[in-house]
Amino acid sequence: MATAEILAEKKKVQGINSDYTEKFGFSDPETGYAYKAPKGLSREIVEQISEYKQEPDWMREFRLKSLEMFENRPTPKWGADLDQIDFDDIHYFVRASEKVSQDWSEVPEDIKNTFDRLGIPEAEQKFLSGVGAQYESEVVYHQVNEKLEAQGVIFTDMDTALREHEDILREYWATVIPPNDNKLAALNSAVWSGGSFVYVPKGVKVEMPLQAYFRINTENMGQFERTLIIAEEDSDVHYIEGCTAPTYSTDSLHSAVVEIVCKPGSRVRYTTVQNWSQNVYNLVTKRAIAQERATMEWVDCNLGSKITMKYPSIYLLGEEAHGEVLSIAFAGEGQHQDAGAKIVHGAPNTTSSVFSKSISKDGGRSTYRGLLEVADGATGTKSKVVCDALLLDEKSQSDTYPTIRIGESDADMGHEATVSKVGDDMLFYLMSRGLSEEDASKMIVNGFIEPVTKELPMEYAVELNRLIELQMEGSIG
Amino acid sequence: MSTDETTKIPVCPASELGPGDRRIIEHGDWLIAVINCDGQLFGIEDRCSHDDGPLAEGEVNQADCTVECPRHGSIFDLRTGRPKTLPAFQPVKTFPVEIIDDTITLEV
Repeated sequence: MATAEILAEKKKVQGINSDYTEKFGFSDPETGYAYKAPKGLSREIVEQISEYKQEPDWMREFRLKSLEMFENRPTPKWGADLDQIDFDDIHYFVRASEKVSQDWSEVPEDIKNTFDRLGIPEAEQKFLSGVGAQYESEVVYHQVNEKLEAQGVIFTDMDTALREHEDILREYWATVIPPNDNKLAALNSAVWSGGSFVYVPKGVKVEMPLQAYFRINTENMGQFERTLIIAEEDSDVHYIEGCTAPTYSTDSLHSAVVEIVCKPGSRVRYTTVQNWSQNVYNLVTKRAIAQERATMEWVDCNLGSKITMKYPSIYLLGEEAHGEVLSIAFAGEGQHQDAGAKIVHGAPNTTSSVFSKSISKDGGRSTYRGLLEVADGATGTKSKVVCDALLLDEKSQSDTYPTIRIGESDADMGHEATVSKVGDDMLFYLMSRGLSEEDASKMIVNGFIEPVTKELPMEYAVELNRLIELQMEGSIG
Repeated sequence: MSTDETTKIPVCPASELGPGDRRIIEHGDWLIAVINCDGQLFGIEDRCSHDDGPLAEGEVNQADCTVECPRHGSIFDLRTGRPKTLPAFQPVKTFPVEIIDDTITLEV
């Protein structure tokens, strides 16, 4: 390689650690913030959040009851190590802007600039049906295509939904994930703020995706958005979420709850491209119900965060319902991606598949944790689980914890798992075709995750490949 | 229960089970909770269908006529035994309850 090329390559490699900061890890000054709660969690803070949002009594009571559940539950000891989280060292509510705008020009300038840098307004123009942008605890921008609105589609932030669509929200609220489901769901239920509410009426097909983007700016911040999607009979919707945060030396916490109800014959796809900075604990509960003939698909890409614990679940409760989870986890230095899937076959002739791909490098740790359950009475079910792990070096780690419970004798279940290492023979073969060692390695990784990226809309597939290439920089040598 | 044979089990004097109170009865392999919900009496299997743990130790909501599983929060309708929220999705059994000569009586 010529000297100039070597220098350019070196510069590229040296610049890797600063790339996240430049692209996503920058922070804004907290000037003009409407409210920032002091650190720590108490009954007073929870009451204050509810009062600040002028919520109905039932929601305030729901929050306070959830707080008790959170306090009574121990921190989970299974999975990733959560002992370092200091729940008293977190700001539980930060309001950056007084209102939700429907026009980017009305969003406070610093915040607008942030979303400009992240490319959200541009993406909205090009290929989205609606956008929600959450900054700190609340949504600052929300807009949905007028045609969809005319068809009765509701896509709004959760706080607005509670004010404007209280009846429908209350009917489904916490029915998929009750607050006492687990400690982090209880925490979210106590201090939730922001998130999306999506309602798709019977027979309506939302052709282009709806997107929400979540941004943490403050140090030691907790973001607790809550999303509820209701897809009525024979409707179709694709919801995409992305998330980033500044790089700080202290930890932040993201703990969301996502509930989805797929009515008979509907189809919901929920795609996540998680790229939190590496000081964020990402502890999320996601669960969907699929009724008769409905299809639920989770496409879950975990690239960022310090620790992620997330296992998107599907309860197939109606005959012939179908569920799919496609999962990618990428664990680099200092990261533990404890991800997976949970599928419960609760009705006859239901089908499901789980494809999980994990890549570990530089001492990172990826875990696949999955549960596949066939309930008593769920005859004629079919399911396939494939989890593949790729290790890029000797010091990285991959674990697989699959659990299968079968309550019916005629269930058709398949489980495949592979762990592979990028071997010298693979690299040698590609290098003999003229590729550099680094490009050869990237090509192997891209081929490895291709079954998942091909399911993403093109713009996201390109972005995901680019992010993984960035993570891969300097991994050889 | 599909069997034709039923057994009537005395639970306690009616005056001992006020609104919101509950009593657990053991009958063979069954644990059954008798619950006074705002003056109405219900008999429900004391088992959450999610993880088979005890159900009736949970909070009774007398307005909604439900009991909430104390471990993971599934809410069961006392009238039907059906869960109204996940993670449980299968119903538990319910049993008729009546007052005979001032004694709460469970029919199993």
